[in-house]
Amino acid sequence: MIKYVIKTLWRHRTRTFLTVSGAAVAMFVFCFVGSVQEGLNRLSNGEDANRSLIVFQENRFCPTSSRLPQDYANQIGKIDGVAEVMPIQVWTNNCRASLDIVVFNGADPEKIQQNRPLQLVEGNWQEFESRRDAAIVGKNVATRRGISRGDQFSIGNISVNVAGIFESNVPAEENLIYTNLNFLQYTQGLDSAGLVTQHEVMLQNNADPDRVAREIDQALRAGPVATTTRRKGAFQASTLADLVDLIGFAHWLGFACVGLVLTLVATTTVMSVEDRMKEYAVLQTIGIRPLRTLRLVLTESTLLCLVGGVAGTGLALLALSLGGFAIGAEGSTIAFRPSFDLLVYGVVVSLGLGVVSGLVPAIQAARVPIVKALNQP
Amino acid sequence: MALVELRNVCKSFTKGDQTITPLDHVDLDIEAGEFVSLMGPSGTGKSTLLNLISGIDRVDEGSISVGGVGVTELSRGKLADWRARNLGYIFQTHNLIPVLTTYENVELPTLLLRLSSAQRRQRVELALEAVGLTDRSNHYPSQLSGGQEQRVGIARAIVAHPQVVVADEPTGSLDTKTSEQIQVLLQRLNQELDITLLMVTHDAEVAAIASRRLLLDEGKFVEQNVDTPLKKS
Ligand SMILES: Nc1ncnc2c1ncn2[C@@H]1O[C@H](COP(=O)(O)OP(=O)(O)OP(=O)(O)O)[C@@H](O)[C@H]1O
Ligand SMILES: [Mg+2]
Repeated sequence: MIKYVIKTLWRHRTRTFLTVSGAAVAMFVFCFVGSVQEGLNRLSNGEDANRSLIVFQENRFCPTSSRLPQDYANQIGKIDGVAEVMPIQVWTNNCRASLDIVVFNGADPEKIQQNRPLQLVEGNWQEFESRRDAAIVGKNVATRRGISRGDQFSIGNISVNVAGIFESNVPAEENLIYTNLNFLQYTQGLDSAGLVTQHEVMLQNNADPDRVAREIDQALRAGPVATTTRRKGAFQASTLADLVDLIGFAHWLGFACVGLVLTLVATTTVMSVEDRMKEYAVLQTIGIRPLRTLRLVLTESTLLCLVGGVAGTGLALLALSLGGFAIGAEGSTIAFRPSFDLLVYGVVVSLGLGVVSGLVPAIQAARVPIVKALNQP
Repeated sequence: MALVELRNVCKSFTKGDQTITPLDHVDLDIEAGEFVSLMGPSGTGKSTLLNLISGIDRVDEGSISVGGVGVTELSRGKLADWRARNLGYIFQTHNLIPVLTTYENVELPTLLLRLSSAQRRQRVELALEAVGLTDRSNHYPSQLSGGQEQRVGIARAIVAHPQVVVADEPTGSLDTKTSEQIQVLLQRLNQELDITLLMVTHDAEVAAIASRRLLLDEGKFVEQNVDTPLKKS
């Protein structure tokens, strides 16, 4: 019987092709939006998000405007529950929302290796540690900017020697470039000797992040610059607040895509079925049950959706894995990554849409008034 | 007990404020193995009768049983199952599925039966052989002549080995020569495969091939004497 469905679809191949393409485009967008959403969720809920804190200058947002004494690290390190402190100088080419943001994090190379979930895919740590202007570059940035090991990469007043390319299981990391803290502090225009943008605080396993954050801010109140300490996830979410709104809006775009697929496939299936009411009457006269007739139509619509949906999802995942897309603002970035979840989600949504969009025509076909339909010319 | 039994069957249609009752308390018995032809003026309810027997239309009153099964009692789904196993329907315009080949069209009813693929294949090949279309297995309906299409329609109607085959003007849209081929075919199916046939026709010559001839006139069946010489058209 599946042969009958496939041959029916093939008979109107232009219509089938157009419908499948439409569904594919819509599912492409749907998955893309889904990946942005996933990136955002990872930032604020990821493992990393709640087990480390970011100490930032009070009431400052852009990394260029936050200037904390580097030696705050000593005071922070004494607070109960703190496992380690990593002073970080941040530099970004663009403080506003941008699709091609480049973010440098300057920190102690040894601490980077210890505390960041990075694996070098090119180059080695020794080289990074030994050269003052050495940098390791996240895979996404490398893809986007066409950077490879040994290159001299310059942007603004910064010029670094690429000692390696790294991967990370935290996708946002892959949008960063790491350099030596000293190097970045002495970059022309930053004038940050002895100052850093932020301190990242790694917590001990059982420490309550909110308590430690409060204690840090209290302890530093007496110092020259007041601080605000937040969980890393919350910090990133707040620096990206404008984008979060935008992404919330993109969510609606995802729903619109679902609606689009639904109406597209439903229209095609209704047309196909209404053209062939007599055929369904013949099938039922031969002895095909109404329920089976229903299934035939549902199979038709599901095939349309599934082929289109899988193609669209596949293309979206391919584009995401090759493109290294990311959006960022104020030094935080959201990575758009392909994921297995996204694949499953795309396929399941296509499947569901296929069934739902075929429902009305399927019921029509199942309940065809046999004699009346047979008497049609 | 007859293979097909109609008791007190009534069927009327309402169109606007007009009610037509083509079948008004009719009784009919058809024995297994009979070849019955049914003639009658247009609009007397011949097609309606076939539709009621095959359960694609519902009686208003009365009962119909085929092979002991109360067709008038079954639900729509059960009726479909019953038709798949027990009833073949030959349409005036073959009504083949255009996207399927000859072979696939004939195979369709066998997909509804519990058969092994070898048994299925054998059935389809036998049916195609019976209608002489083995060499057209892979043709699509659009590649066949009207007579060939009708023969595929007949093969489809008999492939499941039904108890009864009903045919509504099976030669109605064919030329004389093709019509004669179909007549011979129907006669062979009845005599060689022992298929019980009920055929509606407007053509007295076609009706003459049947072993029993009925006339439906003003809601009543009239038996025609088989020996009565037929008017030549
Ligand atoms: N669905 C319907 N609605 C209204 N009237 C109908 C319907 N179906 C059939 N009729 C009427 O019932 C009567 C019998 O119709 P039927 O098709 O059984 O006639 P028939 O004997 O097969 O005629 P013909 O020889 O022209 O095929 C006709 O008067 C027809 O107009
Ligand atoms: Mg008729």
